[in-house]
Amino acid sequence: MFAYVVRRILATIPVMAIVALFVFSLLYIAPGDPAAVIAGDQATPQDVERIRASLGLDRPFLVRFGEWVFRILQGDLGVSIFTNLPVTTMIQQRLEPTFSLMILTLCLAVTIAVPMGVVAAWKQGTLIDRAVMGFAVMGFSVPVFVVGYLLAYVFALELDWLPVQGYTAFSNGLWPWLENLILPAIALGGVYIALIARITRATMLEVLQQDYIRTARAKGAGQRSILFLHALKNAAVPIVTVIGIGVALLIGGAVVTESVFAIPGLGRLTVDAILRRDYPVIQGVILLFSFIYVIVNLAIDLMYTLFDPRIRY
Amino acid sequence: MALPGPRSGQPLLEVENLQTHFRTKDGVNRAVDGVSFHVNAGETVAIVGESGCGKSVTSMSILRLIPEPPGKIAGAIRFQGKDLLKLSDREMRQIRGNEISMIFQEPMTSLNPVLTVGRQIGETLRLHQGLSAREAEQKAIEMLTLVGIPEPARRVREYPHQLSGGMRQRVMIAIALACNPKLLIADEPTTALDVTIQAQILELMRDLKHRVGAAIVLITHDLGVVAEVAERVIVMYAGRKVEEAEVGPLFRTPRHPYTQGLLGSMPKLGSSLHGEETRLAEIPGLVPSLKAKIPGCVFATRCPHTTDLCRQVAPALEEKAPGHVAACHYALKEEALAA
Amino acid sequence: MASATVLARPELTRESVSAAPQMPDVLPPVKARKGFIGFLRRNPTIAVGGGLLLIMLAIAVFAPLLWTVDPTALAPARRTREPSAMYWFGTDMLGRDVYSRVLYGARVSLLVGFSVAILSSVIGLAIGMVSGFIRWADSIVMRIMDGLMSIPPILLAIALMALTRGSVQNVIIAITIAEIPRVSRLVRGVVLSLREQPYVDAAVAAGTRTPVIIWRHILPNTLAPITVQATYICASAMIVEAILSFIGAGTPPIIPSWGNIMAEGRALWQVKPYIVFFPAIFLSITVLAVNLLGDGLRDALDPRMAKRL
Repeated sequence: MFAYVVRRILATIPVMAIVALFVFSLLYIAPGDPAAVIAGDQATPQDVERIRASLGLDRPFLVRFGEWVFRILQGDLGVSIFTNLPVTTMIQQRLEPTFSLMILTLCLAVTIAVPMGVVAAWKQGTLIDRAVMGFAVMGFSVPVFVVGYLLAYVFALELDWLPVQGYTAFSNGLWPWLENLILPAIALGGVYIALIARITRATMLEVLQQDYIRTARAKGAGQRSILFLHALKNAAVPIVTVIGIGVALLIGGAVVTESVFAIPGLGRLTVDAILRRDYPVIQGVILLFSFIYVIVNLAIDLMYTLFDPRIRY
Repeated sequence: MALPGPRSGQPLLEVENLQTHFRTKDGVNRAVDGVSFHVNAGETVAIVGESGCGKSVTSMSILRLIPEPPGKIAGAIRFQGKDLLKLSDREMRQIRGNEISMIFQEPMTSLNPVLTVGRQIGETLRLHQGLSAREAEQKAIEMLTLVGIPEPARRVREYPHQLSGGMRQRVMIAIALACNPKLLIADEPTTALDVTIQAQILELMRDLKHRVGAAIVLITHDLGVVAEVAERVIVMYAGRKVEEAEVGPLFRTPRHPYTQGLLGSMPKLGSSLHGEETRLAEIPGLVPSLKAKIPGCVFATRCPHTTDLCRQVAPALEEKAPGHVAACHYALKEEALAA
Repeated sequence: MASATVLARPELTRESVSAAPQMPDVLPPVKARKGFIGFLRRNPTIAVGGGLLLIMLAIAVFAPLLWTVDPTALAPARRTREPSAMYWFGTDMLGRDVYSRVLYGARVSLLVGFSVAILSSVIGLAIGMVSGFIRWADSIVMRIMDGLMSIPPILLAIALMALTRGSVQNVIIAITIAEIPRVSRLVRGVVLSLREQPYVDAAVAAGTRTPVIIWRHILPNTLAPITVQATYICASAMIVEAILSFIGAGTPPIIPSWGNIMAEGRALWQVKPYIVFFPAIFLSITVLAVNLLGDGLRDALDPRMAKRL
């Protein structure tokens, strides 16, 4: 078990190395002079030179990559071209809103989507099933920001139940924090709920066909026990896997949701950095998000053994 | 209708005109179409036939384990006088695993892989006898001892994948017998097992039957098993009962050509009665599609004695000898046979 | 002996034998539908999705004929007019006709959606085939794909767009790169499972050359899953394009794309919500159409996959 955990953690190193290499070399993949691209259209030649020097673009590629990785491992993600602040500091300032939003969305989505999928599978072919599947396809089709605006329009502007936008830190109390995050979390959760509900339904349909479900019925087990004890535990591995994979959707969606609801998180930071072509910030954010994504999925891999006693490391 | 009547009073189980149909994309599959039989308390009745003859569906219908839709069960299934088809889901659940329990063909897949053996045996006890988790585990250990599993106190906390096929079937039997059911339905309980294990499991079932006093409905295609354990035999073909008799008369004088075919395709040890090489007979042809209505005898397409009459008129089940019914126009009655 | 009990007895007639009672119908009979109409009735999602998509295609192609005006024509005097008989969807803050802009916007979305679907399928197919057949390439390619897949696709596209000047072409390239890893994985998975099939083994044993095996046995079997995957990619590409444009990293603002129209309407959305909602509705309907088509194709083409998702 321990050896397996170590092996799995080591296996993430090449993946992260590729991410780092990709993020680092983005500047050189793009056509044209990277310094000029970053500087933008209105830059003077001096600006371009300054950026060239600050990024160290005049030295060999691999040397710079090595130095860059070395600095990142020490927690130094470079300095923002625009604000001249360390990227690490800028990210730290923005962590709380984004993590609040993502964790709230994750909890909300899982508690809604899994029962939805279970019920749809149980009532396969009925109106309930069709409603769930219809909701799922809508979730995949209506973009995050459309849902966001719609929710904000109805619940904030028209009904005035919740604030239109903004963010209040958790230290200011649970309700002010929650109040601002409810609409963004629902908007962001749409696709995620759709994804989890669909995989839950599909896996449950397969599990409900299994012989051991028939055995449970023959024993006189009730419907709830069959669905949630006998079947769901067997369906857990694919569902949990998709919850992990879906974190990518949450990250991508957070960038947009934060723009719609004016939440000062990492997503906003990303968007602002892109508009200003603040490349060290973009690199830092992508590295961080990818790291989170890899770690979440690693954790989920290691959790399989909790759900299925046949999986042993 | 001339059916062999119950020996004394009311039978334990009485199935009357059971029809189990399934809705499929290209028609209605009439998997079981008008099957009637009964089982007396403590009796062992075998239902035999080829795969697809409806014997498993019949057994699943008794416990109403057929998903509806796409399936539909009609007729009457009276257990101790109550029609199971008229019970609510809740009432039905109180019967399942408690008064009627079931053992399935695939021990490898019939146990839940993510729950411990003890929990799966204990579940029945907790459901029907209201035992606490601790009591249920104690009783599960007793049950494991009863079905001959060594080191029950350790095994009770293991998962199915840690057990062999034979052991898993023993666990299934322990689950089925935990609540002392009055009727045990065993659907091909030994088919998936090695021959040596098969014998052990059959022995165990026979032994436990005497101890618990349950009636058994044994679903099988293995006539060897039937000869060994059953008292009465029902032969099914294409969703219908074609013959029924006590085990002795059935093996000695099978009336229906299908039963004759089944017995003919069974290898016998030292069966060269006439000193000549006996060939293993086979029944030519295929089981007809159950999606079309068959006007005449269902076996007409494969029967060596088919006439036009067979193709036109479906034969009724007739008592050909006391306690021996068959659905064949040409099967002679006892007195004609004697004459 | 057994067969002696059965004798042909010519004296038996219909009247002299007892017939078994007729069993009633328990379920109503099932009617099997055939032909194209039957196909559509059995696959309503294909009918609805395909129909809606055809309408959107027609709108994109015939946009100039559908009572539109120049979608980029500025009219500062007629800014932010509410929807009316004159301006069906109103006008934006530069006085441009939102109806015309939305209709022309269909062109960008569909172009991006179809281009990305086709490009990433073809490239992903090639990469998946290579890594499914060449052992040493497999480990390298799949490590790279694992790396790319651990970057959330929208971020990957954003990162690529951040470096290039906004153009429809660059949007297509960026989204395609973000989608390729998933297609490659899918194809590789199918190839690896097909290689285990006895008929492929037989072909290999018979000395069939690899390109022939790919062409004859592997490619035809990957087409169904690839087609289904391509429709989903098309749908997600249209959303990603809108997101990119919405946050200002996509199609250049002068081109009316749905994302751009919404991005421009953002500042005013609390007072003039219609500027955001009309393109939002069109975008959602189009993506829904493609997703429905994908679901329908999946059910119709690949029952195995339908079971999985």
